Amino acid sequence: MAEQKKIKNLKEFSKSVDRFEGSNLLCPGCAHSIIVREVLNATNDDLVLSAATGCLEVSTAVYPYTSWDASWIHIGFENATTAVAGAEAMYKALKRKGRLLQPDRPPKFVAFAGDGATYDIGFQWLSGTFERGHDVMHVTLDNEVYANTGGQSSSSTPIGSSTTTAPAGRVSYGEKRVKKDMMSIMAAHGAPYVAQVAPNKWKDMIKKIQHGFAVEGPVYINAMSACTTEWRFDVADTIAVSDLATDSLVFPLYEIIDGETWNITYRPKNVIPVRDYLAAQGRFKHLFKPENEYLIDEWQQRIDKEWVRLQRMEENSPR
Amino acid sequence: MTEKMELKSVEVWDGNLAAAHSLRQAQVDVVSAYPITPSTPIVENYAKFLANGYVEGEYMMVESEHAAMSGCIGASAAGGRVATATSSQGFALMVETLYQASGMRLPIVLHVVNRAMAAPLNVNGDHSDMYLGRDSGWIQLDSFRQQEAYDLGLMAFKIGEDHGVRLPVMVHQDGFISSHTAQNIFPLSDEVAYSFLGDHQPFNAMLDFEKPATYGAQTEENWHFEHKAQQHHDLMTKVFSKVEEVFAEYEKISGRKYRIVEDFMMEDAEVAIIAMGTTVNSARLAAKIIREKEGIKAGVVGIRLLRPFPFEQIKEVLKDVKAIGTLDRSSPNGTVGMLHNEISGVVIENEKVPAMKNYIYGLGGRDITIQMLQDIFKELDVSAKAGKRVGPIQKFINVRGPELSFLGK
Amino acid sequence: MEKRGWDDFDPGVILFSFEKDKKVTDIATTEPENRPYSQSNSFSSDQASGWRVEKPIFKQDLCIDCQFCWIYCPDMSIISRDKKMVGVDYDHCKGCGICVEVCPTNPKSLLMFVEAKEEAEALAEWPEKKKEEK
Repeated sequence: MAEQKKIKNLKEFSKSVDRFEGSNLLCPGCAHSIIVREVLNATNDDLVLSAATGCLEVSTAVYPYTSWDASWIHIGFENATTAVAGAEAMYKALKRKGRLLQPDRPPKFVAFAGDGATYDIGFQWLSGTFERGHDVMHVTLDNEVYANTGGQSSSSTPIGSSTTTAPAGRVSYGEKRVKKDMMSIMAAHGAPYVAQVAPNKWKDMIKKIQHGFAVEGPVYINAMSACTTEWRFDVADTIAVSDLATDSLVFPLYEIIDGETWNITYRPKNVIPVRDYLAAQGRFKHLFKPENEYLIDEWQQRIDKEWVRLQRMEENSPR
Repeated sequence: MTEKMELKSVEVWDGNLAAAHSLRQAQVDVVSAYPITPSTPIVENYAKFLANGYVEGEYMMVESEHAAMSGCIGASAAGGRVATATSSQGFALMVETLYQASGMRLPIVLHVVNRAMAAPLNVNGDHSDMYLGRDSGWIQLDSFRQQEAYDLGLMAFKIGEDHGVRLPVMVHQDGFISSHTAQNIFPLSDEVAYSFLGDHQPFNAMLDFEKPATYGAQTEENWHFEHKAQQHHDLMTKVFSKVEEVFAEYEKISGRKYRIVEDFMMEDAEVAIIAMGTTVNSARLAAKIIREKEGIKAGVVGIRLLRPFPFEQIKEVLKDVKAIGTLDRSSPNGTVGMLHNEISGVVIENEKVPAMKNYIYGLGGRDITIQMLQDIFKELDVSAKAGKRVGPIQKFINVRGPELSFLGK
Repeated sequence: MEKRGWDDFDPGVILFSFEKDKKVTDIATTEPENRPYSQSNSFSSDQASGWRVEKPIFKQDLCIDCQFCWIYCPDMSIISRDKKMVGVDYDHCKGCGICVEVCPTNPKSLLMFVEAKEEAEALAEWPEKKKEEK
C-alpha cells in the first residue's frame, strides 16, 4: 500500500493537483464539486471512480467532454456502488492471476451518488455491496432532494422542506417526513467505517476520507452538499450555509467505527439556533408564516434530541 | 494456481453443467451472478469449481440480476473476462443494464437459459426472454442442444472479446429440455480450450492507470445518434465474418462444424420450418419422416445467430422454397411472431416469394411433438402446391380449446 | 470536433482524459500546465466561463495565502502554486463568488466586479480597510 498523503494544514493541502476539472456543467457555487475535490485530493493514489445518474454525472461527462482525470464509469441511477464493486473484483482477480497492467499501483475505488441514488433507488445495490465487503468507498452527495430532475422529494428530504412533489401551499407545509437515518443503517451493515462530513469543515473531512481509504472494506461517507438551486440561497453563500448547518447541529459531524464506536468529531463553540439555518434558505421560507412557526420549534427540539442521542452513543461506545 | 480437471472424451452433462464447464475452461476473471431457475446450476457449478480450486477468479454473489449485470459491467470495463447466467424474470430485471453493457461495448458473456415470462408465473422453457433481448445490441447465439451450449459458450468469448468486435454475447439454450437433461458431451481438454481463447486482452481498461478512460458519458441529440449508428454498423458489418472465422477455427480443434444459418435438407426443399432452440432437432426428425412417409420435400432452417440477423444467408437458403412455416415460441401479444416478421422481410427480396405461415407453440414449456411438426409440414405442402397461402397466417399449436388462428383466412 | 461522424468515434462512447499516445504516470502530482490534456478533457474547454456575469479580481498585495479560496472553489479556478495564491483561472471560473465570501482579509483580496471590468481599473478602485465593528 502506498504511503498516505501528508496533509498537515491548508497551505500544504493546496499543493494538491486536482484530478477533477473545470468547465464541467455543475451550477455555479455547487457543493458537489467542493466535496469531490476534497475526496480526490485526500490521496495521490490512482483512482477508479463511478457516479450514479444525477447532477454530478450529467455535468461531468457530457460528450465530447470528461472532467475526470482518473478512470470513471457511469452505468445507471441505482448501481454506482455495484459498478465500482465490479471493478474492484476485477482488480482482485487480476492481482491474484498476476495480470495487472501496473501491479505496483494499488488504486482506491470510490462511488459518488446523490441522496436519491443512495437513500432511495440505489439502496439495494449499496446494501448488497456493503454486505459483500468490497474494498470501496461510497460517497453520498447529500443535497436532500432530487436536484438533477428539478427538486422532487427524496427520502433524505427533511420535514418542512418545500419540494416540487411536496410543495408548501395553503394547507400544506411541504415534506411531511423526517430525513432517513442512513448513517445508522450503514453502520448496521457492520461497515468498518461510516462518517458524516461537510465540505466547509475540510480538515475533518480529509481526516475521515483518509481513514476511509486506510481501512479494508466498504466505507460509507455521507457528505452534506448545500444546493444553491434547490435550497434556494445565493450562489456565493454555499460555505456560509454549510457553516450554519454544522454549527446549528442540523448536520452533526461524527463517525462510526466498526458499527459500534461513535465519535463526534466537531463540537461548535457557539451552537446557533436551528431557526438561523432554516431562515437562510428559500425551501423553508414558508415555515416562518405564523401558522407554521410551531414547526421551527419542533425542528429545534428534534435537533436537540438527536444531539443528545449522538452524545449518548459516543459515551456508550466501547473504547 | 488452478487445478486442471481431467475430463473423459465423453462426459454425461446437462446443458447447465456444459455451460458451467465452458466458463471454467475460459478461466473467467469475474462472475457476478444471481440465481434463477432454470439457469441457477450454471453459477452453482461455477461456485463449486471455485471452492475446489479449479478456477481462481472472483465470484460476486449479488442481490439481484440487475446488480449481477451491473457488477459484470464494472468488472468488464475494468479490463478482464466476465460472464454470468440468467433466465426469464431475472433477464427482464437485467434489461436496463443489457443496453448499457452493449452501448459501452463490453464483451460480457451471458448464458440465457430460456424461460417463459410471467404473468402467469412459469418456470419452463420458451423464448420470451430471448426475444426481449433482441434489440439490446448484444450478439445472440442460439444452441439447439447441450453440446452446443458448451461449444458456443467457449466461442462467445472469442467473438465478443475480439478488438474489432467488442460486443457482449448471449448464449441461449432452452430451459429444462436442454438445461436439465443430460446427454453425451464431447468436451475439449482444459489446455486446448484455454489456448483456443488465450488470456483476455485488455482494451481501454479502467485499470490501465496510464490511460484514464471515461465510460458511460452522456450524449444528447447532438451526439447520441452517431454512437448508436456506429454500434449498429459494427453489428451489421463486423460480426458475421468474425463468427464464421471463430466457427472455422473451432471446427479444427473440435471436429464440430457450426454455421450462422443451420439449414437441413434445404437443397431441394419446397417447404421449410424456421425454428430456434431444441425444436430445430425435432423439426429435423419430422422433416426426415415426412420425406420418407409422404414424399414432401421438407427442410429446416435453424437460426444459430439471432443478432445480428443473418439476412443475406437466410435469403440464399430460402430462394427456391415455396412455403415457409415460422415457429415462434413466444407470445407475440398482438401481432405475428418475431421470426415471421424477420423472415417475411427477407423473402420479399427473393424473386420467388413463398407462402408464409406463422405457428405459435410451446409457451411455458408446452410440448411440440414430432407428429405436430409433421402436420405443419403437411399444411405447408398444401400452400406450396396451391402456389399461395392456404388458411390463416397465424395459428396456435397444441393449445386447449377451439382452434386459435388469426389473420388471412 | 463538431463535424465528427459516426465512423470517427472510439467504440463504446469512451472518452480519454489525456492524449491517447501519451502515457501518464504520476498525474496526481503533475501540474495542469504539464499534463497532456486531450481535446476531450473539459479542461481544454471554456464552455462554462460564459455563464459569468461577475468575475473575481485578485489583489495580490492584500493576500495572506490562507488558501480558503483554493479549497472552497467549486471550479478548480483558484491557481495556487507552492502554497501561494497566484491568480484566477478565467477559462474555468463560473463567477459564483464563493472565493470572495470566504476571503478573510480586510479589505478582501478578492472582489467581484462586472465581467467587462478591466483589471487595472478594478485594482485602482479597491476599497479601503473597513473599521472593526464593536
